[in-house]
Amino acid sequence: MKKKLFAAGLALALGTGYTFNALAQAKPDVLVKQRQAAMTLIGKYFGPLGGMAQGKVPFDANIVARNAGYLEVLTKLPWDGFDASTQNEKSATLPEVWKDPAKFKAAQDLLQKQVANVVAVAKGGNEAAIKAALGDVGKACGNCHNTFREKK
Amino acid sequence: MRVPCPRASSRALRSGVLALLLGAAAATAQAQGDAKRGQYLAKAGGCLACHTEEKKDAAPFAGGRALKTPFGTFYGPNITPNPEAGIGRWSEADFIRAMRLGVRPDGAHYFPAFPYPSFTRITDGDLRDLFAFLRSLPPNSRANQAHDLRFPFGLRFLVAPWKWLFFTAGPLATDARRSAAVNRGAYLVEALGHCGECHTGRNFLGAPNRDRFLAGSKTGPDGKGVPNLTPTKLKKWDDGELKDFLQTGMTPDGDVAAETMGEVVRNTTGQLTPDDLAALIAYLRSLPPLPDESR
Repeated sequence: MKKKLFAAGLALALGTGYTFNALAQAKPDVLVKQRQAAMTLIGKYFGPLGGMAQGKVPFDANIVARNAGYLEVLTKLPWDGFDASTQNEKSATLPEVWKDPAKFKAAQDLLQKQVANVVAVAKGGNEAAIKAALGDVGKACGNCHNTFREKK
Repeated sequence: MRVPCPRASSRALRSGVLALLLGAAAATAQAQGDAKRGQYLAKAGGCLACHTEEKKDAAPFAGGRALKTPFGTFYGPNITPNPEAGIGRWSEADFIRAMRLGVRPDGAHYFPAFPYPSFTRITDGDLRDLFAFLRSLPPNSRANQAHDLRFPFGLRFLVAPWKWLFFTAGPLATDARRSAAVNRGAYLVEALGHCGECHTGRNFLGAPNRDRFLAGSKTGPDGKGVPNLTPTKLKKWDDGELKDFLQTGMTPDGDVAAETMGEVVRNTTGQLTPDDLAALIAYLRSLPPLPDESR
């Protein structure tokens, strides 16, 4: 039994080690596609919320709560895709990401903070407060794009 | 020979005086523009952003916003009606001269970071309304900050040859060949909205390239690229998408405009009436398609 357990543990450790190695070696163009995919989904789930904040779409607190929950995870995902190896890849990313990493990190943190705020405020059900919190998320998106993304 | 009739001449005198008084009243009423109309025009003109400090709870129109350019940093002045810090001592004529000709009440030139090359196209009536609106604001004593410009760009008298080369004063004329909507859109974009100030590439002396009007640039404000607004790129958006973007700053896929434009959407395009927004879009669609700036 102990031997089997040990063998299983060894396999697991080796297997895990192999998986981590594979991640670290993901090709730069793959990393770019993955982070863009994360951004696309952020757009997908923020879109209706932004519309509600602007009064263009009927307000629905349930959708806000659900999407905000998705966004809480989604807004953690893109960042490891901005690895230094991707600097020469074709994308809308500006070199500022690597010239000012502290500012880039601060922008990520602000976005996550504002999204977490929506999650919290959505529990209270106050429409005006939720719309204000959504507006703050929109500004956080725009702020980061201002410095770190090429305008189309 | 006509003998002047005393009764007739006194009647003439009375009606003359009456006419004079009515004329004066009319002139005064005209001189006092409509502050309510002016409030809308100030939104369409995007005055708030450059004339307000970029911090939370900053006093509106009291100045302080930093505008970084290749020539140095400009600080938007206080345009509340405070007599020392703002424009409290200005006459309506001073204001019209500033916007139409780009000169201070003391006659010195304004640097064209103040976009009078666009504002010169605003009509007299609208300028009066704008002035009335500014006069209606609470006076704020926030003192102006001097511009921080690289030599020799801080020398105001150098603006005189710049103006001679690059500036033509005068209100926008209506083009009878185009629809009322396109004309209105032209006025909103070329005069009030001053969109070309950001969306047109400039030469090394900071003057806009007239033949690249609204065609975007790789080196706009903040040193970042600015999009091409002519149909070359804009045709990819339908009217509904464009309207939504200008009202909310969001694209159909939930993407959000960068903050420099986000601010314009909140303060200006998002504040336009539906007719004005439609006119703006009609005008953009009517532009000749220009290619993007080549690298």
